[in-house]
Amino acid sequence: MKIEFTPEQAALRTELRAYFEQLMTPELQDEVDATPGEGGGPLFWQAMKKLGQDGWIGVGWPKELGGRGMSDIEQMIFVDEVMRAGFPFPFLTTEAVGPVLAQHASERMKSELVPKILSGKLIIAIGYSEPAAGTDLASLTTTATLEGDEWVIKGQKIFTSLAQHADYIWLAARTNPDPDIKKHKGISIFLVPTNAEGYDCTPIHTLGDVTTNATYYDSVRVPADHLVGELDKGWRLVTGQLNRERMSLVNCGPVSQLLNNTIQWAMDNKLPNGDRVIDQPWVQINLAKVRSGIEVLKLMTYKSAWKASNPVEGEDPMTAAASEMADASAAKTYGTEFFVEAYRLLAEILGQASTLHLDSKGSELRGRLEMLYRTASIITFGGGANEIQRDIIAAAGLWMPRAQR
Amino acid sequence: MDFSFSDEQRDVQNLAQAILNDKATPERQDALEKQGERYDAQLWAQLAESGLLGVALEAKYGGMNFGFTELCLLIEEVGRTTAPVPVVPVLVSSVLPIQRFGTDEQKQRLLPGVASGELLLTAALMESCNENPATPALTNARAQGQGYVLNGSKLCVPFADKAQRILLSAQTDTGVGVFLLDPQASGVSLAPLKVTSQEPQFELLLNNVMVEAKDVIDTGAKGASIMQWLAERTSTAYCAMQTGVSDKSMRMTASYTGERQQFDVPIATFQAVGHRAADCYIDVECQRLVTQQAISLLDNEREATTEVEIAKIWTGDCGHRVSFAAQHLHGGVGIDKDYPLWRYCVWSRHIEMILGSSASTLALLGGRIAAGRAFAN
Repeated sequence: MKIEFTPEQAALRTELRAYFEQLMTPELQDEVDATPGEGGGPLFWQAMKKLGQDGWIGVGWPKELGGRGMSDIEQMIFVDEVMRAGFPFPFLTTEAVGPVLAQHASERMKSELVPKILSGKLIIAIGYSEPAAGTDLASLTTTATLEGDEWVIKGQKIFTSLAQHADYIWLAARTNPDPDIKKHKGISIFLVPTNAEGYDCTPIHTLGDVTTNATYYDSVRVPADHLVGELDKGWRLVTGQLNRERMSLVNCGPVSQLLNNTIQWAMDNKLPNGDRVIDQPWVQINLAKVRSGIEVLKLMTYKSAWKASNPVEGEDPMTAAASEMADASAAKTYGTEFFVEAYRLLAEILGQASTLHLDSKGSELRGRLEMLYRTASIITFGGGANEIQRDIIAAAGLWMPRAQR
Repeated sequence: MDFSFSDEQRDVQNLAQAILNDKATPERQDALEKQGERYDAQLWAQLAESGLLGVALEAKYGGMNFGFTELCLLIEEVGRTTAPVPVVPVLVSSVLPIQRFGTDEQKQRLLPGVASGELLLTAALMESCNENPATPALTNARAQGQGYVLNGSKLCVPFADKAQRILLSAQTDTGVGVFLLDPQASGVSLAPLKVTSQEPQFELLLNNVMVEAKDVIDTGAKGASIMQWLAERTSTAYCAMQTGVSDKSMRMTASYTGERQQFDVPIATFQAVGHRAADCYIDVECQRLVTQQAISLLDNEREATTEVEIAKIWTGDCGHRVSFAAQHLHGGVGIDKDYPLWRYCVWSRHIEMILGSSASTLALLGGRIAAGRAFAN
């Protein structure tokens, strides 16, 4: 047991921090702030291209697929630093969907899409949720039917984030309508081009100013080889990335940076009596609560990354999978609920200034806390509602019997 | 980053588990408590015989030559069984600073006896209204001849009646002195206290007590940093104990709710019950991680004040929440003294309040943040 970075890991961190500080020019920062969480502007695409050229896309992919083949811990360091810098890196495309696509898509789709992903020229949006299939995702009703050598897709997806910038939708559709099989057994994954006839995308404007989308598939026809992996076996591709996705949702990079900026702000600003804001005991307590919460998040994410490449020798695979699931769910639940609390504790220090919008006169810390109050509502239900996470923890972490659903 | 235990560490863990599960049974603890003293001398002798009392001692003092990590694995198992043995006061608060800062003569005289189980040591770390042993306020020491004369008082001193020496700090002309006090010396009086955890504790009164030169560890130049060093290790060791206490009470709760039937189903199948237990799982995982980090850093002699404070904050919060959740989900069964859960509850409180609560530690961490010394880098 040695819970600290090795000299090589520490050096990678330093290198990445300097790299991203340089990448995030004030102009790019302004562009990113104008479209929170999205990217998609001209400077964003320029930065993506540079990341591709410098080999910083697909860091976790095997070298033979054109990636960097970084270990899980190194990948986590990378994610930390990108997110700390505030660059809207399209992780879902490059690190979640990308490697699965590179492994399971047809040869033609692979040769067309993989080079574009790795050079930062392509974004893929995820089309899972439907108006009537959220937490119970396997009840989705979008269908794909084979007609000749084409799949015909009919249905509607909701919260298809990034679809407005995406070239493809990574779509889950029902391919086996047999009511007698288990509902998650008849689902397949397709790559649907966003320029296909019958595809439509309308924006959903959200509380947090982040635009997401409803996407519509009105008999969209795609070639047979747009099917990813085996027919009717898409559920495994959907769930295979869930643990990793849950971990990436609760990365400690951004909140660490926000805490540090708030500490600096409270040191630099004075009260009428001449004391610094940070000299007040309650401010120090709020900061300490956030600081000690962040430490756990850091350790949770690094431990999960470490575990991914260090399986316990001789451990029963069922037990290992259960404990991985419980830990990912614990991290997701703890992390998202901690974020909500942390944003409040930090906003209290700014007081009413934390309600001033980025664009407003008098806003502080680039309006970050103003925005986070509005965007944070989604995190406790997005990526798997926390109730479901707690169900998973009780069953997989504590072996408690589950209720029938 | 390496979160794994080595083969040797697993061996220590397994050995500790085997002995403690076998000997520190609820029935045995119940019998000792009924006799009026929560101390298992037989178990202590067995731990000595197995070598575990010397787990972190150098081989030349009869030890296994392992480090703080291995010692904390033993302590976690003591927490998991609530075994009535003074592992932290003896093996951490007094043995570690003597091994690190003591004279050769002190080490030769005291450490082999600890490893063999022949003698106990302890430390007096708190005074009334003062939980920081690096800043003694009620105890002072004045040089006289080759030795020192001590006056003052300490509170909540564990096993003071059985210890050969009590390590304590006192104000001197030049700073904070660290001394090894003989509780049999003239001018020492011990008054027994009655505490939540039932650990044998005493108020220690010092009235012109002579401490000989051979029992002085430091006279003031480095005393405060020695006490800070041992306080960080003591806090962290109690965090390790809490991991065992909370983990075990949580698992007892999970299995109890899986068996207990109401409305014809196990109560664990009620989402409200499952979720309260899941919150315990999250708490225990959080507490374990920050604790392991603190242990690892201290074992490698890194500067770890921030990380130790964070572990202490989590330990107090997690211990409190898990204790009450476990009792709540057990219904009346948990408060019955024939069922072992109550011991886990009282030890959670013991650990929570020792060497500073979560709130007071948050204030310390907040002060360090304000001084620019605890950014989240």
